[in-house]
Amino acid sequence: MKEAGTAPEGKKPALGRAVKSVILIVIGILIAFPLFSISYYTMVRTSTPEFCASCHEIKPAVRAWRESTHVNNAVGVVVDCMDCHLPAPQDMYDFFFAKTYHGIKDVAIHFLVGEYDREKARKSAYAAFDNDQCQKCHRNLLNIPNSRGAMLAHRSVIYARAGYEKKCVDCHYDLVHDDKIAVMYRQYRKLPYQAKGLRVEKPGI
Amino acid sequence: MRKMPLIRIIEVLVILSLVCALPLLTAAQQTNFPKVKQYRIERSIPPEGVACIECHRAATPGLFADWAKSRHANANISCLDCHLVQPGDTDIAKGHEQYYSRSDLPYGQEKYKVPIASIVTPKDCSRCHPDEVTQYSRSKHANTIEIMWKLDPWLNKGMNSDNERKTGCFNCHGTVIKIDEKGDIDPATWPNAGVGRINADGSMGSCTSCHTRHRFSVAEARMPEACDQCHLGPDHPQIEIYEESKHGTMYHAYKDEYNFNAAGGTWTAGVDYRAPTCAACHISGSGKVLTSHDVTERLSWETQAPLTVRPQDFKPFPAKSDWQTERNKMKAVCQQCHGNSWIDDFYDGFDKAIMEYNDVYFKPVKAKLDELYSKGLLDKTTFFDEHLELQFYELWHHEGRRARMGVMMMAPDYAWWHGFYEVKARFNEFNEEADHVLKTGEKAYVYPNYPNATGNTKRPVEVFPE
Repeated sequence: MKEAGTAPEGKKPALGRAVKSVILIVIGILIAFPLFSISYYTMVRTSTPEFCASCHEIKPAVRAWRESTHVNNAVGVVVDCMDCHLPAPQDMYDFFFAKTYHGIKDVAIHFLVGEYDREKARKSAYAAFDNDQCQKCHRNLLNIPNSRGAMLAHRSVIYARAGYEKKCVDCHYDLVHDDKIAVMYRQYRKLPYQAKGLRVEKPGI
Repeated sequence: MRKMPLIRIIEVLVILSLVCALPLLTAAQQTNFPKVKQYRIERSIPPEGVACIECHRAATPGLFADWAKSRHANANISCLDCHLVQPGDTDIAKGHEQYYSRSDLPYGQEKYKVPIASIVTPKDCSRCHPDEVTQYSRSKHANTIEIMWKLDPWLNKGMNSDNERKTGCFNCHGTVIKIDEKGDIDPATWPNAGVGRINADGSMGSCTSCHTRHRFSVAEARMPEACDQCHLGPDHPQIEIYEESKHGTMYHAYKDEYNFNAAGGTWTAGVDYRAPTCAACHISGSGKVLTSHDVTERLSWETQAPLTVRPQDFKPFPAKSDWQTERNKMKAVCQQCHGNSWIDDFYDGFDKAIMEYNDVYFKPVKAKLDELYSKGLLDKTTFFDEHLELQFYELWHHEGRRARMGVMMMAPDYAWWHGFYEVKARFNEFNEEADHVLKTGEKAYVYPNYPNATGNTKRPVEVFPE
């Protein structure tokens, strides 16, 4: 029974490999799960407007946001900082890295530079803003029967002529982060909402 | 007291009753009075907007009727869509707010009160027409105040009065709108529909220069009559040149057949119009060339500049385009009706005329003027107060432009009799006088007490920030 005698010899290392792999996987899970959970909870906890407002530089922006129609409207929709300012969470990779990059950058600037120019920051935010950010929610933009002008303007953005690509924020600026004297409720808006028209860059500014 | 006879009493009563009945009689006779433009509010307009319409159809019926005939009215774009501003804006017409507390007006109620601006700017228009405004903002039209202040001796040397400027220069070029603390517009800056007006919201220009209030018609801007308000006269008679050209004569003969109301992007040479208007070549789309509200596009020479240069070399406001590309665009426009040899041969003559103007006439005269300045025979502190300065100015600014533009737009009379013929005469007169001064070494005569040279020489900070 030579064959029978040799067989367990060959099996033994195979079983050992399997056990080894299982042990390694378990160790992997034991290491990775807490890491994953930590980063997940870190992401969740650092994604709230309250967290953003924990930096004094950002407080005015969060205050203005809280008073804006992106928070106060009859349908109860609240649009958080992350919804506009970071790639959608389903773009996991972009979201994760963009958020980490901005976090590190903001902290570094806070300690190394110190000065925070809100107008300058606003400008760079406008420059970085992608139409996709707005269009995550605002998708039905072409049929607005009671505002033909908006229909016309939106067509020139969504089907832009070459060389005339525009950003939503080129016209819809100061929508959220303008300083208001009172809380703005969308349903109590007395004046009809209008985009402000193309932002004018005054000479020298 | 004597008793009044009965007949007398009857007479008085009859006259009185006639006088009382007179208004009724006249009303009954006026069955054929002109009908007021109707406007039934059937589509969604906020109550504040209804108030605008109802009040203004009574207060300013002409303005209302004009709007009611417009494409805007057609698309339910009403007063508020353009005139509404946000609370706190600098250009709110505060004087207008009094009407919301007038109990004698049916809509004179607080609940209809909205902040509005009198002046509607390209920025306001950009809410719906962003591409048109973007194109326009790049043009020499929108930036004309900057160009004017970088070049013009009348302004920089203060050689005319502020009111001469308001009623003359700025009427076409535009004013810098100023609004005081009460919200009233400074009358020195308003009314104005100049192409380069600087508005309170920082935007440049005025769409209503060509698409006039409150019709805002594309058809109007396609007609040469939209341009001739400014582009005429001794210094740039584009409209007279056009009238003389074959294009202009054909336009006048056939304009009744022109379809000025064609939809944007569809206005077609040879179909909707027989010969081009100003807009057809300079603004409207044609063939594969797309419409642009930047009038500098399609130009290959700056024929209004003292020394003719390419648009990208025009120092006060260099175009971001390349002249060769732009010339090809214009050639493509010409090709809608003309063959290649026609177009190339035309440009050959145009380029030669530019070279002759630059090299034969302008440069030698400019060199001599500079020599006179450097030798101290002419005084450089002010301009226009010595005859040679006026001669030099008119050589490029008047007949020099007429010659170049006359050649460009194919008007032989302006190219020659009003143009190069006069350039030649001016050249000789200038040289005769300059040579005399150089020969004798006697300083040129300076006009004493130059009249009304009182204008402000400070550049507007809105255009030239300090």
